[in-house]
Amino acid sequence: MSMILSSLILIPLVGAIVALFMGGSRDKLAKYVAIAFSAVTLIVSSLLLFKIFGEFDELGESYEWISNNTFIMNYALEVDGLSILMVFLTSLLVVLVNVFSIDEHRENNNYFYALILAMEVGLMGVYLAADYFLFYIMWEVTLIPMYFMISWYGGPRRHYSAIKFFIYTHVASLVMLIGIFAIGYESVASGPVNYSFEAVKAGIAGTALETQSLIFALLFFGFMVKMPSVPFHTWLPDAHTEAPTEGSVLLAGVMLKMGSYGIIRFCIEALPDAAEHWQWLIIAIALVSIIYGAYGCIAQTDLKKMVAFSSISHMGMVMLGIGCLSDAGITFAVFQMFAHGLITAMLFMVCGMTGHKVGTREIPLLGGLAGRMPVYATFMMIAFMASLGLPGLVGFWGEFPVIMAFYEFILEEDVIWMLVFCMLSLMLTAGYYLWAMQRTLFGPETKKIDLSKAHDVGHFEFAALLVLAILVAFFGVWPDGALQFIDPYVDGLFGVI
Amino acid sequence: MIAEYTWLIPFIPMMCFLIIGIIGKKTPEKGGYIAIAGALSAFIISAAVSYEYLTGDAFDAGEAITSEIEWFQIGTYTMHLGYYVDGLTCAMMLFSSFISTLIFIYSLGYMHDQGERKNRYYAEVSLFLTGMLGLIVSSNFLELFIFWEVMGLCSYLLIGFWSFRHHDGDAASANAASAAKKAFLVTRMGDVCLMGGLFILLNQFGSLDYTTMFATAELVAEADPDMLTLGLLLMFGGVIGKSAQFPLHDWLPDAMAGPTTVSSLIHAATMVKAGVYLVARAFPIYVMDGNVMLFVGIIGGVTAFIAATMALNNMNIKKVLAYSTISQLGYMILALGAGGYLWSLGYYELGALGFFAGCFHMINHAFFKALLFMGSGSVIHGTGTEDMRLMGGLFKKMKITATTMLFGCLAIAGIPIFSGFWSKDLVIDAAMAAFEHGTADGATWFIILWVLAVITAFMTAFYMFRMWFMTFMGEPRENAQHCHGESPKTMTMPLVILAIFALISGLFMFVGLADMLPLHEGMELVTLDGMEEGIELFKNPYTYLTLILAIVGIVIAYLMYVKKTINPGKFNKFGESWLYKALTKRWWFPDLYNQISWKLGYGVAKGVNYIDRQIVDGTVNGLSSAVVGGGDAISKVQTGHVQDYSSIVLLGVAVLSVVVLLIVAQLGGL
Amino acid sequence: MIPMEYFLILAAILFCIGAYGVLTKSNAIVVLMCIELMLNAANINFITFAAYNIDTIELLTMEATAVGQAFVIMSISVAAAEVAVGIAILLNAYKIRKTTELDDAELTTMRW
Repeated sequence: MSMILSSLILIPLVGAIVALFMGGSRDKLAKYVAIAFSAVTLIVSSLLLFKIFGEFDELGESYEWISNNTFIMNYALEVDGLSILMVFLTSLLVVLVNVFSIDEHRENNNYFYALILAMEVGLMGVYLAADYFLFYIMWEVTLIPMYFMISWYGGPRRHYSAIKFFIYTHVASLVMLIGIFAIGYESVASGPVNYSFEAVKAGIAGTALETQSLIFALLFFGFMVKMPSVPFHTWLPDAHTEAPTEGSVLLAGVMLKMGSYGIIRFCIEALPDAAEHWQWLIIAIALVSIIYGAYGCIAQTDLKKMVAFSSISHMGMVMLGIGCLSDAGITFAVFQMFAHGLITAMLFMVCGMTGHKVGTREIPLLGGLAGRMPVYATFMMIAFMASLGLPGLVGFWGEFPVIMAFYEFILEEDVIWMLVFCMLSLMLTAGYYLWAMQRTLFGPETKKIDLSKAHDVGHFEFAALLVLAILVAFFGVWPDGALQFIDPYVDGLFGVI
Repeated sequence: MIAEYTWLIPFIPMMCFLIIGIIGKKTPEKGGYIAIAGALSAFIISAAVSYEYLTGDAFDAGEAITSEIEWFQIGTYTMHLGYYVDGLTCAMMLFSSFISTLIFIYSLGYMHDQGERKNRYYAEVSLFLTGMLGLIVSSNFLELFIFWEVMGLCSYLLIGFWSFRHHDGDAASANAASAAKKAFLVTRMGDVCLMGGLFILLNQFGSLDYTTMFATAELVAEADPDMLTLGLLLMFGGVIGKSAQFPLHDWLPDAMAGPTTVSSLIHAATMVKAGVYLVARAFPIYVMDGNVMLFVGIIGGVTAFIAATMALNNMNIKKVLAYSTISQLGYMILALGAGGYLWSLGYYELGALGFFAGCFHMINHAFFKALLFMGSGSVIHGTGTEDMRLMGGLFKKMKITATTMLFGCLAIAGIPIFSGFWSKDLVIDAAMAAFEHGTADGATWFIILWVLAVITAFMTAFYMFRMWFMTFMGEPRENAQHCHGESPKTMTMPLVILAIFALISGLFMFVGLADMLPLHEGMELVTLDGMEEGIELFKNPYTYLTLILAIVGIVIAYLMYVKKTINPGKFNKFGESWLYKALTKRWWFPDLYNQISWKLGYGVAKGVNYIDRQIVDGTVNGLSSAVVGGGDAISKVQTGHVQDYSSIVLLGVAVLSVVVLLIVAQLGGL
Repeated sequence: MIPMEYFLILAAILFCIGAYGVLTKSNAIVVLMCIELMLNAANINFITFAAYNIDTIELLTMEATAVGQAFVIMSISVAAAEVAVGIAILLNAYKIRKTTELDDAELTTMRW
């Protein structure tokens, strides 16, 4: 059995430990250690993406980890079309975040980079795990570095936000844990419970719909909070406002996707009948999230908070795609996950940067920045345009086909007027982004704050943003680049259903 | 086969955009020459492709040259990427690229003093041209929609070109920023509708490719007529947004905040023409529903009229032109609507006439509107103001500009020989034909629209000449006195070329333009005989009616603004009359937009935010403070006195012992 | 033979005296001594049950007798250790806080 997948978890883990010991006078070195280790991870995941190591299904690893006469937990890793994109996105964003923060001076660099790499360990684990318990453990592993990232390196209200983030998502994951227990015990008639994906999926298939629905609800709740969906979303704006830029990028870029990943992986893949049972609920939650998030954006005055609300709206779009339970819906929901990962990373980098460069992120205090910071303005525009779904950029392919799938669903259900919600959301999205841009970048230069020290994007920040901008345009022109991975997975999924 | 390289037509300006964006700063004129070269080569390729197509077999057979590659799949639908060349495509891409080339050349002079910003300007106009040319050669509606949106982005960028560090100060930059946002949002509203229309059409036809959608009658027969109507209406929503039709027309006058060259690009060669093009392109589908076409016609006619009224008393030279554009676009839409309506009733010849009138007017309008805008740009360049009250008597100082603009005014007013005459009268004819042959309700509508169109023709002549007289005749006022003569060669040369086209482009009708735009009726091709239609115009009494009205309009303008024998103040009670106020307030449309967007957008958002903070988050915080507070309260039990604790322990043990004893006794153990 | 109840009553009285002392006395030394009384009451019970070996309850066999006595030894040694630790803590508390009174404010500040 090859160790490729394990290495994706082990490399950042080693990196985190090494970075941790780079304290004191070797403070600067921690950055480069982090970049080196994350770069190696990125290389491995890219090679994996291009199938250099062979087809995905040849790469699985599985060892019995803890087994007794009641349950079997495995250290099992697998990769497929769904997870490979997330793995790639994770490793990419971690590298970019590290590069992005090179110029940043902060105390205790070593802890900071150790936390980032530790987060990568957890994220990789979540996306690669092929065992419910390993998944759960890794899920919790991501939580802890994020908590410390916010509460050590965050803004003025960091303690409140960190605790809120932790408790919120932890409560959700406990509900999910109950769901995992339940799905495990229901999947076997007698004998030890094997928590590996395949065993559970095979076992749960024959059980009663009521059981499945209940388990679905438990798991779904856990994932929904993570995504996050209205009304369990309030941790997100607070966490984002207080988290350092790097934390926000990872939080929005890949951590939120853990939720939608989980829904597809567990709720849809293992419990398709229950998914159909709850379909309207999923759709309703998605629509509410989309509209509510978009309206939330308009009222925000903090740039980062606005982007946080836009994440709620866009993740709602992911859920809408999932809720259609159709080939196109799920395919492009996954695509939207990937697209949103790229775009939102850019958004948070740009908006987070505003705080460092200008001194405040409050929109009413800003104005006319385009004249002084043209490069910054350009990137902000690209990010905003991509996020509002301008064709030719990646965001469009996460929206158009999802709404198309939704249209087919409502046509079948004969409630065609629901298309109005989608159209409203598209309008609102354009509205808040343009309004924010008008007040931030354009118009007369602000006199409310001192702009004399404002400086444009630095070299390393530029590099990170440029890579993202290129990818945003690349996948916008050639969506098949990502779809070729998703399609086989979704075809397999519907072969099952 | 040059047609195989059709994809180069949008691709070359695209490359120019990238090149100028990346290294443009280091080239002379900050990328200006690259942009011109790009537009020119796009024009040359367009010309070559058009020549090849028009002389080829495919054209004779009435077929399009098309080629596409598979792009990706949405569920069961396959999306393609390709090009589609037919007569309409040829006509569109020729005049777009040609006029764009002239505008870019003109920009060399007009934008000369913009310094570093020129780089941005040339990059953005190149992308703009990419959008338009891409839209024209697209082989399916999704591709069209993508370029459609790219154009929206470019218009946003260019209208907001001076949205920061404006040379006229902060208020002007705030105004530009706001206008750019408005343009994008209002057109976006249309775009969202268009997107909805595409969903419906994709679902009904199973494909968005022109070849599939236009060719297969079985698909149409299978389609649900109600859904088809809805889809077409939504699609027309996109046109309303993009082509600034009533009631989404109000962004276009505001868009004058951008540089004049941009206005000319938006109004003549790109952007607003895209909406008309979409209707013309989707004509074979649109004619499936006569009622939709009636609606299209109504929107067109009403727009033409309303926009013309607002131009009557405007003092801003560019805004007068902006309203005239909206009004002329209304004509085009009206013609297409009337043509489609007739077609759907089975009058194929007349339907083709309406279709041709719409497209023909679009082409003519492109030439004379580009001319007018660039002429006004030349005036603004010379005087430094856009307010006509500060101009006057410029004829002596700017002879070329004044003469060429006069050509433009004559063309738009519809004076014979000049291009506007031919196409405008065909449009009015189409409306008349729709009245004559239409069924009850439709006929009533079309006679109203015909009257509106004729009145609009009168108003057009009046306000255009009002503008020309106020600018070029009479006493030189304030800014006009400081005018330092004619604009540079780079600016006047395109003016002269366009003036020639404004004179002759109407005659294209007689040399084969009509044949270029055939329509299919089943297997049959319906084409117009341009010569016959031209002669027909002179036999038609209504032609003379509009002509007389136009001349009357010019004369009134002359009397008011040159001879001063009629005082315009009398008509509006010196700015006090209700109508005058309504016109200056633009029929309160901006207020309406503001109200809607504030109430529906910001108002609701405030509410949502309140709910979010107070109720949703309040519940969460309430729960947490309940836990913390409860803990606080209970922690008071911890007195710190060991003896209190031990008393509790002892008591507990005693109680437990009693309970155990009772249980044991109950179970009968002892 | 002396009835078993006598021993048990003695232990109970001893336990109650100890408990009363623990709950009411304010001097920590006295409380510690009272805890000793309670422990010894428990020891007496152990010994008593070990010696009287009631046949009706099967658990208390000959081995149980030995276990009971062993427990007493264990208990006494643990008590000794506990007193040592307790007195040491008290001495320290006295050194720092200058008091061994339990309800003195100096010693009760270690709560919320």
